[in-house]
Parts: sequence; structure tokens; C-alpha cells
Amino acid sequence: MKKKLALLLAAMMLLSLTLAGCGGGKTPNTGNNPGGETSDPGDNNPSDSNPGGSSNGGTITFWNIATDEPDKTVFSYAVDQYNTNDAPNSGFTIEQVSTVNDQYKSKLAVAMGAGECPDVYTHWTGGSLAEYVKSGYAQDLTELVDKYGLRDRYTEASLAQGTVDGKIYALPTKNNSIAAFFYDKAMWAEKGYEIPTTIAELEALCDKMVADGIVPFALANQPQWTGSMYYMYLVTRHGGPDIVTNAYDGSGSLVNDSTIYAGQKIQEWVNKGYFPAGVNSLSPDNGDDRALLYQGAGMMLQGSWQVGSIKSENPEFYENLGCFAFPALEGSSADQTAIVGTLGDVFISFNCTGEKLEEAVKMVSYYSTDEWMKLDIESGNLPPLKAATSEEPAWQDLLVILNDASAVQLWWDQYLPAAVADVHKSASQKCFDASATPEAIAQEQQDAMDEYLAQNG
Amino acid sequence: MNNNVSLAQKRRRSYGICAAVFLFPVLLFLAVYLLYPIIATFFNSLHQWNGISADKKFIGLANWSKLVTDSDFWRAFWNNIKVMVLSLIVQMPIGILLATFLDAVGKKGNAFKALWFLPMLMSSVAVGYLFRYALATNGGIISSISQLFGGGVVDLLGNQATALYAVIGVVCWQFIPFYMVYYIAGYSSISPDIYEASIIDGSTRGQYVRHIALPLLVPTIKSAIILSLIGSLKYFDLVYVMTGGGPGTSTELMATYMYKNSFDTFNMGYGSAIAAGMFILITLFASIVMRLLNGRGND
Repeated sequence: MKKKLALLLAAMMLLSLTLAGCGGGKTPNTGNNPGGETSDPGDNNPSDSNPGGSSNGGTITFWNIATDEPDKTVFSYAVDQYNTNDAPNSGFTIEQVSTVNDQYKSKLAVAMGAGECPDVYTHWTGGSLAEYVKSGYAQDLTELVDKYGLRDRYTEASLAQGTVDGKIYALPTKNNSIAAFFYDKAMWAEKGYEIPTTIAELEALCDKMVADGIVPFALANQPQWTGSMYYMYLVTRHGGPDIVTNAYDGSGSLVNDSTIYAGQKIQEWVNKGYFPAGVNSLSPDNGDDRALLYQGAGMMLQGSWQVGSIKSENPEFYENLGCFAFPALEGSSADQTAIVGTLGDVFISFNCTGEKLEEAVKMVSYYSTDEWMKLDIESGNLPPLKAATSEEPAWQDLLVILNDASAVQLWWDQYLPAAVADVHKSASQKCFDASATPEAIAQEQQDAMDEYLAQNG
Repeated sequence: MNNNVSLAQKRRRSYGICAAVFLFPVLLFLAVYLLYPIIATFFNSLHQWNGISADKKFIGLANWSKLVTDSDFWRAFWNNIKVMVLSLIVQMPIGILLATFLDAVGKKGNAFKALWFLPMLMSSVAVGYLFRYALATNGGIISSISQLFGGGVVDLLGNQATALYAVIGVVCWQFIPFYMVYYIAGYSSISPDIYEASIIDGSTRGQYVRHIALPLLVPTIKSAIILSLIGSLKYFDLVYVMTGGGPGTSTELMATYMYKNSFDTFNMGYGSAIAAGMFILITLFASIVMRLLNGRGND
């Protein structure tokens, strides 16, 4: 009997040891991946599936959010090209995993926390990229970019956006996304509306629209980043892009004339009926804002990725789609041509080293070939490539805005550290239902900024 | 004699071995999926950690002191309390009413039973989207009806004053069927003899329900209250789908606030502190309410 008990205990111990072993096996992986605070290129990051990154190949996992057309085609292109052309020689194959936008960020964060970060993944730079780099999940690509002559293909500004501390950590792709007003040319011509060049003209136009029974701004602000565009532009027009950059490096504050002006303006516009009823519950994920535009709303301040959506969703409307830049503020000393947006809609970073990294970059470089560029442009995008230009009528106005721009202010919710970005979004939403004063809204954002700076100063 | 004792010993020993073998898998699962996460949550709450990096910085109780003074967290907690109280007030009586009705009509009510149970069969995400469309200001059913009769657009979800109540309404819609079935089960455990006896003694159906069935249902009601209470305090999915905590922070619950901190803003350390705080608060609440309920029951 005793023998049996001992045997049982031994078996249990063995089992629990094996289980502990499983757990233990993961720990060094997590430990190695990030490799401390600074990430020197390479070495300290043995790839998960292929220890040592040796030459016998393996699978390169590629995470992105291309679940719908036209993104699906645009993103599958490089994967297919690599798997047919290069895979036989290199021994590596690309496995693409696409996740819905909404869940993507948290899925990626969970994977990273568990030490299961994919080899290649897309993101939106800014505060998140800084976290990825700090945690060692993004590799320095500067050498490879030079080696493959990618500097000649990507626009300088878009590469700069994937750069942290002078090193390139992310390659741009898909689109130049800038926020601008979209409108129905036919409807405007019929009603005799003219493109406003100043905010005063914009307000006069909106008053006219309200009198005509038209909702001037098609805005769906449930997820908050859409309404934030009005806020960002008004701040930028009043005080220039420096307002937010200075606040980020601690030399300025978000409580100033410009942010208060922006808050007041939006609340004034809300009171005048410029925004649709229930603006804070309409959602751009359902296409509510585009629906309003189709139904005859005046204009829509949105990102230029809307061009692709409108093109595939409503070809009839697309024929008359026009766009114009956010109007200038009279008497402001700030540069009035600055635009809000991002050069390169999504960016691609790499969590692998050695040969695997090189092969992965080779795959991603298919996103800069002429053939891909054509495909991307046809789907309504303007790729962040030097050679790119678009024949799409809707892009002609956007290209002018882009070329005239003195500076591109990255979306605040991407540019700011994640914790502050979140506060910015919910605070800016409060402008639209007047649940806080412009001063309090500015203060709330600055408080979050202060807290971040105190922790990471 | 001697032989006898050893047999008893043998029996006890083999009983022990059996227990160990059968309990081991359960204990293992409990340890891996319950105990470990709870301990890890408390451990993480003592660190400044972005959730993805390997280095966690030990910062002692800094997250906890922040939590205690964090007005956003307490506002979220207050919202949870509103959800809890309103859920109890709405779901319990309606659940009992429906169950009583179904118990009274018996087999004839099967169609109602199936129909009323439907909301429970839908996933929360589907329910959330369904009501988001229904409550939409742009072609949603409620706004459309209001406009049909010459009223304005009804914006329940986009209005800070009403958003939380609109969500609670949907939560009730989803969970009333659950409590209905729960009470039906309670009714079915009451022996038909009792009903027959009461009828023979001359009671009406109403008197039976009020004076006999309901008192017999008290244990069921108690456990339903505890279930609803715990569920309300850790509620997440419908709010996340329908409002994401907005507009502003008007529908932020503890769980959505935790999610935001943990995954959206790279603040896993603080997110863990919120989760651990929720754990403590909910345990406290549940045990107080249980004590209160049982105290009354023993009289």
C-alpha cells in the first residue's frame, strides 16, 4: 500500500514538474525577447519558432487588420508574391493573420505580454510604437532600409514617422491619411455653396446650410477619434502644431488660448446646430457619417481612407466627391497650411532577427513595387511612396492639400502616449454635449499629460 | 482483532488515494485558471508595467494609493452600483412574475416560455449591436417612430444623462429570461402535493402564490439576488459593445475602466490594481449581502 501511495505521489510530482516545465519554458522566451530597456539591433532576440534564426527556414507570422476589401487584396499581395517567388529559395513562408480593427490592438498587447509577439505586425506608430520599441518588440531596420534601397522608394516624411531616436523601426504602407472635408460637388453646385477658405466663411456657409435645412457636418462621434479631428484642427489653426509637441516634451501646456478656443468653437457650433442630432452615439464603424453625407449632409471632416470606402460603397456618389482643406483662421500667426493626419496609414514592425528579419523585410518591400502601387492606388489609396501619384479624381484635391502642407500633425490619439490619448479622446467628446467647460476639458488633458510626464519624465 | 483494525486502515487509505486521484484534475484546473490569475493580478498590481515588456518595475503600493484616490474609478464604481440596484429592482420582480405566470398556465405557456427565453440565447455582442442599431439616431427604430409622430430624434446612447439607463434597460432585457428560468426551476421544486393541499383547504391561486409558493421560493430568490449582484458589479460586455464607456465617461464601469487601462493605454500594472480592487469590493459586497440575507432567513 505504501508503495502504491509513494508511486502515486511520484507520478503526481512528475506531472506537476512537467507542467511547471511548460511554464518555465516560456519565461526565458519572454525574458529574451524584450532584451532589456534599449534594443540594440539583433542578437538578444532569438526568434520563437526558429531558435537562433538559423538558415533552415520556418514560418514568419504576419499580423494585420486587413479583414475587408480592398485591404484584403492590398495586403495579401506581398504575402502571395513572397510565398510564390521567394519561399522556395529561402525556406521561409509567410503566414498572414488578419484581425478586426477593434480587437487588434488588445490582441497584439496580450500576445506581446505573453511573449508570443508575431514576427511581423502592423500598427499606427506614435505612442504605441514607442512602447513596442521600449519593450524590445520592434527591431531597428535602418541598415536593411539602406541595404535594399528603400529610402529611394518611401517618402521621407513617412519613414520619419516610423523613426524613434533616429532609428527606423517601422515601414509605412497603404495610404497617406490626412483629414480633410469631403463634400458632394453636385449638391453644392446646385445650392450655390462655395468652398470656404476661412473659418468665418465656413461658419457663414454652415449658417446658410442650417437655414436650408441641411446638417452642415456629417459627424459620427461614438468612438471619439472622429470628433477629435475638429478639436485638433481648431487647435492647430489657432496655435500651430507646436501646441501639442510642446505639451508632450513638457515645455508647454495643453491649457492655453488655442485649446480653449477649440473647445468654445465646437460648443458654439453645436449650439448653432451644425452637427447632427445624437452625434455622440453615431458610429463611423457602421458608416453612419458617410450615410449622413449620402443623405445630403453638407460636408464630412474625415480621414482620406474614406475615399476608398466611398468608392467601393457608393460609386454614384463617388463621381461627385470633392474635398477641401480645413479653412484658415483669419488673423492667426500660426501656419495655416498644416494638416492633421498620418503619412502611411499603417506601419509594419518586425520582431525577428538575422535571416528571418531580412526575409520578412524582403516580403514587406513588395509593398513598394510598382505593381503593388498600382493595385493600392486603384483601391482608392495614395501609398506613401515617392513615385505615387493618383489619377483618382477625388485624390486630385487631396494631393494639392498634401503638397501645400507645411507640416503634418500626427493624430493626437496616435501621437500622444496611450494614456493621454485616451483622456484626449473622451475629453474632446465632452465638447459635443457641453458636459464640461472648454477650460475643464483642456485641464483634464493636461492633468493626464502631467501624470505621464511625472512617471516617465 | 488485529486483522480488523488493519482492514479499517486499509479502507481509509484506499479511500484517501481515491479522493486524491479524483480531486487532482479539479484542483489542478482551479490552481491554473483561478488561483494563479488571482495571485498574478495582485502581484502585477504592485508593479509599473506596460503589459508587453519583460521588465516590471516594483513600485510597492503606488498603484493602490492611486486607485483609492482615483475619482474615475469611484465614478465607475458608482455606475456599477446603479446597474446593480436597477437590475435588482427590475429583473427580480419581472422574473418572478413571468415564472409565476408560466407555472400557473403549465404546458399551455410553452410558446411563451420559448419566446421569452430567446434573449438569453443571443450572445451579448449580438444583443449589443442589435440595440445599438435600434437606438441609433440615424434610422434607428425608436427615433424613426418618434419622428413619425412628429417628435425629434431620440438619442438615448449619445446623451450622458440617459446612456447608462439605456444600457441597463438592455441588460435587463437580456437577463430577465435567465431569472425567469431560475424561478421556474424554483417553482418546479415545490411539490404539487402542497398546491393540491392548499386548494383542498380552500385557498385561491393568488393566496397559494402569496402565502405558500413565495415563502418556499425564498432560498431561490436569495441566490438569484447574489448572482445578479455579482454579475452587475463585474459587468462588461454590453457596455463595451454599446457605448465603450462613453459618451465622455458616463457609462464607464469598473470592468471597462480596467480594460481601458490594461489594454488601450499600456498600463497593465494599474489595470491589475483595478482588477484586484474589484475583486476585493465584490467579495466584500457579496459577503455582506449574503450575511444580511441569511441573517433574516434564520429568524
